[in-house]
Amino acid sequence: MAGPLLSADQISVRFGIGRLRVLAIDDVSFEVAEGEALGLVGESGSGKSTVLRAISGLAPLSGGTIRLGGEAVTTPRRMAFFRTVQMVFQDPYGSLHPRHTVDQILAEPLAIHRIADGEARILAALAEVGLGPAYRFRYPHQLSGGQRQRIAIARALILRPKLILLDEPTSALDASVQAEILNLLESLRRELGLTYILVSHDLAVVAHLCERLLVMRQGKVIEATTAAALRDGSVADPYTRAMLEASRGFVRV
Amino acid sequence: MSPLLEVEDLRVRFLLSRGVVEAVRGVSFALGRERLGIVGESGSGKSQTGRAILGLTPRPGEVTAKRLAFDGTDLLAASPRDLRRLRGSRMTMVMQDPKYSLNPVMTVGDQIIESYRAHKRASRKEALEKSLDMLAAVRLANPARVVSLYPHELSGGMGQRVMIAMMLVTDPELLIADEPTSALDVTVRAEVLRILDQLVAERGMGLLFISHDLELVSSFCDRVLVMYAGKVVETLKASELDRAQHPYTRGLMGCLPKLAGDVHPLPVLDRDPAWAL
Repeated sequence: MAGPLLSADQISVRFGIGRLRVLAIDDVSFEVAEGEALGLVGESGSGKSTVLRAISGLAPLSGGTIRLGGEAVTTPRRMAFFRTVQMVFQDPYGSLHPRHTVDQILAEPLAIHRIADGEARILAALAEVGLGPAYRFRYPHQLSGGQRQRIAIARALILRPKLILLDEPTSALDASVQAEILNLLESLRRELGLTYILVSHDLAVVAHLCERLLVMRQGKVIEATTAAALRDGSVADPYTRAMLEASRGFVRV
Repeated sequence: MSPLLEVEDLRVRFLLSRGVVEAVRGVSFALGRERLGIVGESGSGKSQTGRAILGLTPRPGEVTAKRLAFDGTDLLAASPRDLRRLRGSRMTMVMQDPKYSLNPVMTVGDQIIESYRAHKRASRKEALEKSLDMLAAVRLANPARVVSLYPHELSGGMGQRVMIAMMLVTDPELLIADEPTSALDVTVRAEVLRILDQLVAERGMGLLFISHDLELVSSFCDRVLVMYAGKVVETLKASELDRAQHPYTRGLMGCLPKLAGDVHPLPVLDRDPAWAL
């Protein structure tokens, strides 16, 4: 397939009306090729999460076009869209139904998309995220934060999507658990040929998982750069530099 | 001279219907007029240690210690009246999230004035002046405007600076800061830390800085206690972090993705059950 897997062309999202109107995303364009991992970084209110929500249809576009495999997406999104694009949310405590077992959580997308071999898929999905079949009949409250995030990833993967939207997938987790989830995401991408769009406020996390990244501020992309440029400090925009500086820890002056 | 805060064999227990949970299991340290960091992951007991010192352990928690003393006063034996005199005036605490720690229906000015007048004999006018000075000290651009704002009108960074101002207005000798910057953006975090650092240095306060972020704590504090499963597993000079001995401390440092030096896959922490013994 030629051309990018997903492209966003001058998209914008507005919330509120009149005096309260906010441009959460202001004329943002980017492309993601199949198999690539793109990072979106920025501070709170920069619009990075809204970009993911706009792609998945959770936030209404007020301008611009999103194309998946060359075709403009419809609103509301079609079923086929969700077989290609899935999302993992920030907080694994809030994104899993508290009264559904892991089995029910994983069976739901299969039922919605009328996929027959549920049994085998659920077991395979659990194995993929490094959890044994013993976890199948547990409730979310019986799992640790890291295990919950693994279930959320398994749910996203069970339809065999190509593109996974990751919204701060590790920021609610401890450092040691974060390492496990990042390793899992990296190996899944390699094995299944996945494409990621990762949103994070942590430059080191984005640089670890993505090759290319966009720095956002106040709804705009202020710099498109690479993980390599972050590492050697050759980023151009002063705001990106300030973030890079601040993420190195406290410096007494 | 005795240290500002003495903690010896501090234990915090929760007697629950499903059994006893020991959150803190024999923590000892002494704090002078220095910056001491406590680092650990969730559930390590770091926050409960801070709360127990101030007597803020939630029910049905139970605090015991061989010695828990602030400037020579035994905190476990002190009367509620004596404790009230100490808390909020000579020892104070900054919490993680200003959104939940400020009173949403009082203006910033009223809240700071209230905390000042609860401990010092002062007229409202004096207290207001003191509040304005303090807001200026945490480098809020227009203190006169900020005093009339409600918490929902503040950004996260402003809110946390208001919290710090409120906690420092009584000139405490000990400040406990529990994840004071975790809810903030990195660029704002740097600014809040700089303010905190300067105020602590100027006033010669003792600071207990509780955080999950080992690198941040080591760049900010003089000394670091590393906690795991309710115990201190290692005490380090912040400058000698790279000489950490305990496998947990080393693992905690190793598992962070770093901008300098790209490691794939990241080393993960192998938890040895012996660490928790």
